[in-house]
Amino acid sequence: MTPSNAAGQPGVIQIVETITKSELSTPWNVVVHNDPINLMTYVTMVLMRVFGYPRAKANKMMLEVHNLGRSLVWSGGREQAEHYVHQLHGYQLLATMEKSST
Amino acid sequence: MSGINPLLAGCLHELPRILELRDNPAVRARLLPPPTAEDAAINQEWKESIEPDLRHLLASASEIITRDLTGLKPSPRAPDCCFVTFPNTHTAAWMSALNQARLILSVLAKVDEIDMNLPYSQLKGEKVLAVIQIDAFGILLNQFVERELKPSRRAKPNHPGPKRRKKQ
Repeated sequence: MTPSNAAGQPGVIQIVETITKSELSTPWNVVVHNDPINLMTYVTMVLMRVFGYPRAKANKMMLEVHNLGRSLVWSGGREQAEHYVHQLHGYQLLATMEKSST
Repeated sequence: MSGINPLLAGCLHELPRILELRDNPAVRARLLPPPTAEDAAINQEWKESIEPDLRHLLASASEIITRDLTGLKPSPRAPDCCFVTFPNTHTAAWMSALNQARLILSVLAKVDEIDMNLPYSQLKGEKVLAVIQIDAFGILLNQFVERELKPSRRAKPNHPGPKRRKKQ
């Protein structure tokens, strides 16, 4: 990005990058992926701790990871998604964030 | 932690050495994976700003349990078993270190889901010891997890409790 005082000067092309409203509002999904080594109980515990989910919900998501290979565990803003992925990696879970398709 | 049988004690003795293998490239790729599958810009930013914190987290867990393990000794009442004492505040570090070790062993010995479900007698080469250690650390890790998941354990660690007056 060029400094604002360069605008209007000859030979200077100012490129302004605009993030559209729709891009800002696009939710991001946090996905936990299966790993054959992580204990099922451990994954449940981590989901409860990171997201504050009750045990039944965390257990259901853990079983999705185990049986289907992945589970969408949270959806929302990008910054919060990054924060959650950071925490999940802190527990050595395989987790990624992806733009929601909906 | 008490009632640690000789097999578990042997594995615990190896734990610090296993954790030092954290910097192996294949291990690092597993312990510090990128946050997205395809977004190179986010992944690069993550590598620069978040990954150092995660590396520090892994390393500090290792340091804490390595110090704690210097206190691993035979039980006075059951010489075949060992015990180790550490504060509740070290629980997170223990869980992290045990889980790290399990992942490190699996990466280095290329242990997959099939291997994890085979009887030890059907495993070959370095996988035999690796899976035994992964299982051993899993037993210990599960004890920590079960304690954490018990509904009664809602008190915060380091809660001092009421002070008692000395009798005069």
